[in-house]
Amino acid sequence: MARLGVFVCWCGANIAETVDCEEVSRYAGTLPGVTVARSYKYMCSDPGQRIVTDAIQEHNLSGVVVASCSPRMHEPTFRKTAATVGLNPYMLEMANIREHCSWVHTDRREATEKAKDLVRLLVEKVKRNVPLKEIEVPVTQRVMVIGAGIAGIQAALDVATAGYEVVLVERKPSIGGHMSMLDETFPTLDCSQCILTPRMVEVMQSENITLHSFSEIEQVDGYIGNFNVKVVKKARSIDLDKCTGCGDCWNNCMSRNRITEPVPVSVREKTPPDVVAKVDAIVEKFTDDAGMVVGALQDVQNEFNYLRQDALMYLSEKAAIPLSRLYAVARFYNAFSLKPRGKHIIRVCLGTACHLRGGGNIADAITRELGIGHGETTKDMMFTLERVNCLGACALAPVVTVNNKYYGKMSIDKMLKVIEECAGEPAAV
Amino acid sequence: MRERMRLAATRDLELLRSTLVAGREPTRPSISICAGTGCRAHGAMDLFDEFRRQLDAGGLDDVEVRATGCHGFCERGPLVVIFPKKIFYHGVKPKDVESVIEKTIRNGEIVESLLYKDPVTKEKSLLEHEVPFYAKQQRIVFRNNGKIDPTCIEDYIVADGYVALARALTGMNPEEVIDAVKQAGLRGRGGGGFPTGRKWEICRAQPGDEKYIICNGDEGDPGAFMDRSIMEGDPHSVLEGMTIGAFAIGAHKGYVYVRSEYPLALANLTEALEQSRSYGLLGRDIFGSGFAFDVELIRGAGAFVCGEETGMIASILGDIGSPRQRPPYPAESGLRGKPTNINNVETWANVPVIIERGPDWFAGIGTEKSKGTKVFSLVGKVKNTGLVEVPMGTTLREIVYDIGGGIPKEREFKAVQTGGPSGGCIPESLVDLPVDFEKLTEAGGMMGSGGLIVMDERTCMVDVAKYFLNFLVDESCGKCTPCREGLFQMYSILSRISQGRGQAGDIELLEQLGTYVRDTSLCQLGGTAANPVLSTLRYFRDEYLAHIEKKECPAGVCKELVTFRVEADACTGCGLCKRVCPSESIAGEKKEPHTIDMATCVKCGVCYEECRFNAVIAE
Ligand SMILES: Cc1cc2nc3c(=O)[nH]c(=O)nc-3n(C[C@H](O)[C@H](O)[C@H](O)COP(=O)(O)O)c2cc1C
Ligand code: SF4
Ligand code: SF4
Ligand code: FES
Repeated sequence: MARLGVFVCWCGANIAETVDCEEVSRYAGTLPGVTVARSYKYMCSDPGQRIVTDAIQEHNLSGVVVASCSPRMHEPTFRKTAATVGLNPYMLEMANIREHCSWVHTDRREATEKAKDLVRLLVEKVKRNVPLKEIEVPVTQRVMVIGAGIAGIQAALDVATAGYEVVLVERKPSIGGHMSMLDETFPTLDCSQCILTPRMVEVMQSENITLHSFSEIEQVDGYIGNFNVKVVKKARSIDLDKCTGCGDCWNNCMSRNRITEPVPVSVREKTPPDVVAKVDAIVEKFTDDAGMVVGALQDVQNEFNYLRQDALMYLSEKAAIPLSRLYAVARFYNAFSLKPRGKHIIRVCLGTACHLRGGGNIADAITRELGIGHGETTKDMMFTLERVNCLGACALAPVVTVNNKYYGKMSIDKMLKVIEECAGEPAAV
Repeated sequence: MRERMRLAATRDLELLRSTLVAGREPTRPSISICAGTGCRAHGAMDLFDEFRRQLDAGGLDDVEVRATGCHGFCERGPLVVIFPKKIFYHGVKPKDVESVIEKTIRNGEIVESLLYKDPVTKEKSLLEHEVPFYAKQQRIVFRNNGKIDPTCIEDYIVADGYVALARALTGMNPEEVIDAVKQAGLRGRGGGGFPTGRKWEICRAQPGDEKYIICNGDEGDPGAFMDRSIMEGDPHSVLEGMTIGAFAIGAHKGYVYVRSEYPLALANLTEALEQSRSYGLLGRDIFGSGFAFDVELIRGAGAFVCGEETGMIASILGDIGSPRQRPPYPAESGLRGKPTNINNVETWANVPVIIERGPDWFAGIGTEKSKGTKVFSLVGKVKNTGLVEVPMGTTLREIVYDIGGGIPKEREFKAVQTGGPSGGCIPESLVDLPVDFEKLTEAGGMMGSGGLIVMDERTCMVDVAKYFLNFLVDESCGKCTPCREGLFQMYSILSRISQGRGQAGDIELLEQLGTYVRDTSLCQLGGTAANPVLSTLRYFRDEYLAHIEKKECPAGVCKELVTFRVEADACTGCGLCKRVCPSESIAGEKKEPHTIDMATCVKCGVCYEECRFNAVIAE
C-alpha cells in the first residue's frame, strides 16, 4: 500500500489568490493512499522543504506530490530534497497548479476544483511510479526534427546555430507548413510571410542542416540519445543515364502522383448547391469589394442563422477574400456567431441602465432555467442566450429581446413566461 | 405611390411645399402614434393596426393614422396625439381604441383616463407641452421627432425641411457656411465637443478634391439612445445636415455608419435616401447648383471601438475595427487615405437649423462656451425615463427633479453617471452644476454622447466602476498592451475588492494603473477608460474603503458581501417578495412577517429592491 504525502504550495499570492490551497490540501488528505497532506506559503523555501523532509521521515512516505509551480521550475529542487532523506527522487512528482491553473483562471471556485483534479491525477501517477536508478550512456550528438513548419524550422535553426547537426524531415514537397497559408499573426498583426520566408532560406543555407522534404518517417526505435529512425524518401526524379523511356513507372505509379502538388479542388464543388446559390446571391449585391466583408458576413449570418464554415469557405473563394480575413472579422465583431444558434434568440441587455435595474438577474435566471450561459444554445436547439451591451431602449430598462421583439421593464417572472410560450412551439429543424 | 419630380431649383422646393400645405386640411382629425423603439416595446404597432382596423370598420377610413418617431417620454408609452387639437394621450392600450374613436375622433371629447396626471399635484395635462416632463425642454434637434412620419419626405418638407440646404447651396459659398457654423458655436455631440466649424475648415483646407464625410451613428455608449431616435424619427435632418456639411467641406461622398442593433434606423434611412434621390436632393447638380453628393449606409456589427474615428474608417473598409495611431488625423488622411470629416448624428442634425434660423439665434441658446441644446438619455433610477433635450447650462437638479420627477420609491439620490464608459459619476453634492462641456469635465464626468444615468442609494459605486471596466475589457480591441492588459488587471483588482478580498494598497494600485493606461493607450478607448474608476474614487472613496477594510457593501449590491433578512416589525406580510424571489427562498403566511432562507438565497436582491415597506434589510 502506498504511503504518499501531498504538499500544496501557495506561492505567496500567486496560487492562493485564485486557488483555495487549504481546501485542496484537505481534499488531498481524503484520497486513498495519501497519508499526509499539508499546505504552506512557500514550499520551495527552507522551512517549506523541511516540511517535506520531516514528513517523509516521520511517516516513512513511499512517494510525494508537490502541488505548486511548473516542474520546469522546481522539480530538480524537490527531487534533490527528497533524495537527502533517502526517498528515490523519481517517486516525487509535481502537480502544476500555478501555470496550468491559478495564472490562467479567474474563477476561484472553478480553479480550486481544477487544482484538486490535478492533484488527484498526480497522486495516481506516483502510485504507479517505480524507483529508478540513474545510469550513463553515450549520446549521438545529432538531432532530428520532424515536421518543417515554422516551429520545426526554428527549432532546426536554433540547434544548427548552436553547432550541432540537424536532420529535418518534412512530409510535404515544400517546407513552411500552416504559416505559409496565413496572412497575419496574432497579436501584432505582422505579415507572416515576412517572418517565414527568411527562415526557409536559412534552412537551405545552413551547413548543419540536412533537409529531407517529401519524406516520411516509417519507424522509430531506440531511446533518448540513441534513436534509430527509418525515413522513406519518396521518388521524385529518375536517373536519366539509366532510363530507357519505357514508361512503365509512369503508367504504374501507384499514387498517380504525376504532379507532386495536389490539384487545387474548387470549394464550390464540395459545397452544397443551396449554400452556393445563397452565397452567390449575397456576393452579387456588393459592388465595392473592399468594404463588403462586414456586410456580406451579416447577410450570410441572416441567411443561415450563423456563420457556417462551408458558406465562409465558399464566400472566400467566390469573392477572393482570404479565409483568414473573414474569420478575423467574424471574431472581432460581437454580432457574429460561428456556432449554430437556437430557434429563439434571447438577448438580455446589460447596458448601464439595465445593469442598474437588474438586467443581470434576468440573465442569471435564464441561465438557471435553461442551463445556458452567454453565447450558448440549449441541446434541443430551441434557445440561445446572448448578454449584450444596450439594446437602445434604455428608458424601459431592464430590456430583453426575443427574436428581435422588444420587451421592456422585464421581470424574472415575465421572462420565464415568455420562455414557456416559446418552448410550446415546435423545435427548430 | 406619389410621383416625385426632381427639384431642379429652389423655386421648385417652394412650389412643392405650398402645394403640399394646401393639400393638407389642418382641421381634419388624424391620429399620430409614437412608433419609436420604446413605444413599440409597449405595443405601439398593435395599437396602430387596431386604430386602422376600427376606423375602417367604422366608416372613418379618411382619418389618417401616422406612425411617428420617438417623443422621448418612453416611460409612459405608447403615446398617441389626436389632431387637430393635439390632445396628448399616454399609456394607450388596444382596449382604449374604441373609446378614443368614439369620444375624441367622432365627438371631439376627451378621454380623461388617458390624459397625463401629475403624480404630485394631480393636475391633468391636455397637450403634450403642458406635461411637466416637456415643460423645461427646448426641442431643436428633436424639432420634428414625434411630429412627422419619418418614412415620408413630404412631411419633412412641410416642416420647412431642405430650406436650409437650398439656402446654403444657392445663396452661400462654402466659406460662409463654415463661418455660420463657427459663429453658432456648434460643438461635436459625439464625445469630445470639438468645434464643428473648425473641424470642417481643417478638412476643407486639405489639398485634393476627393474627400469624404461620415456620420457616426454607432452609438456604442450603453445607456444612450438619442442618435437612434434621431435616425429613426427624423432621418432627413441628418441627411440634410450632411449635405450642407459636404458642400462646405468639398466632399461628394458620405457614409452613415449605423449600429447593428438598430434595424429600424437602417430601414428609415434607406427609405429616406431613396426619397431624397428621387427629388434630386441627393445626386448630381442639387438645386441646379452644380454640387453633387450621395450617401451610402454602412451596417456596424457590434463593436464599441468602431465608434472611434480611425476604428470606424477601418470598419467601413471591411476590416477589423482596430484604431490606428493619430496623427495623421482623419481630416488629413482618413478613408482610403483621403481627407475625411466625421461627426456625430446629433451634430449633423443641428446643422440645418443653424443655417435656417441663423447662427446668432443658435448662439443665443446655452452657455458661454457650449451653445445650443443637448439631448440626454435620462435613465436609471429616475421616475420619468426617456430622452430629454435641454439648453446647455441646465442644472442637473432641473433635469433629474423637474423633468425626471426625482427618484422612485422615495429613495435617496446618490449620483449621475455621464459620458458612459469614458465618463464619470457626479455626486449629489454637485446637483446644481450647470451641465455643459467644461463644467462636466471639471467635475470629473464628461458630456460624452449624452447618457445620463441616475443612481440612488442602492447603487454601489464599486460595482459601477467594475461594471464599466468589464465592458471595456470586453470591448478593447486588444491592439495595444496598456489597454488590453492594464484594464484587465484593474478589473481583477475591482473584482477582488467587491468580493471582500481587497487589500491595503489596492486603491493606490488602481490609481497608478489608471494613470498608466490613460497616458499610454493608443486610442481614446484606453485613454479614457480609467475615468469611471478615478471619478468614483474621487467622490466615493469611503465606499471603496468599506469594501476593503470592513468587507461591507453599504449599498447592498456586491453579492459576496451581503446577506438579506426581513425586519419582522416593518414587514406587512404582503407577500410580494415571496412572489418575485427566483429561488423560492422566502416563506411566510399572508399578513405575517416573512423570512428568507439564506441557504438557498442566490442574493439577487430582487426582494430588497421590490419591498415597498423597506422591510428587507441588506447586511
Ligand atoms: C472608444 C470610442 C467610442 C466612441 N463611440 C462613439 C459613438 O458611439 N458615437 C459617436 O458619435 N462618437 C463616438 N466616439 C467619438 C468619435 O470618435 C468622434 O470623436 C465623434 O464621432 C466626432 O463627432 P463630433 O465632433 O460630431 O462629436 C467614440 C470615441 C471613442 C474613443
Ligand atoms: S486603447 Fe484599447 S481599443 Fe484603443 S487601440 Fe489600444 S487596445 Fe485598441
Ligand atoms: S415585500 Fe416586504 S412587506 Fe411584503 S412580505 Fe416581503 S418583506 Fe414583508
Ligand atoms: S442599457 Fe439596456 S437598452 Fe440601453
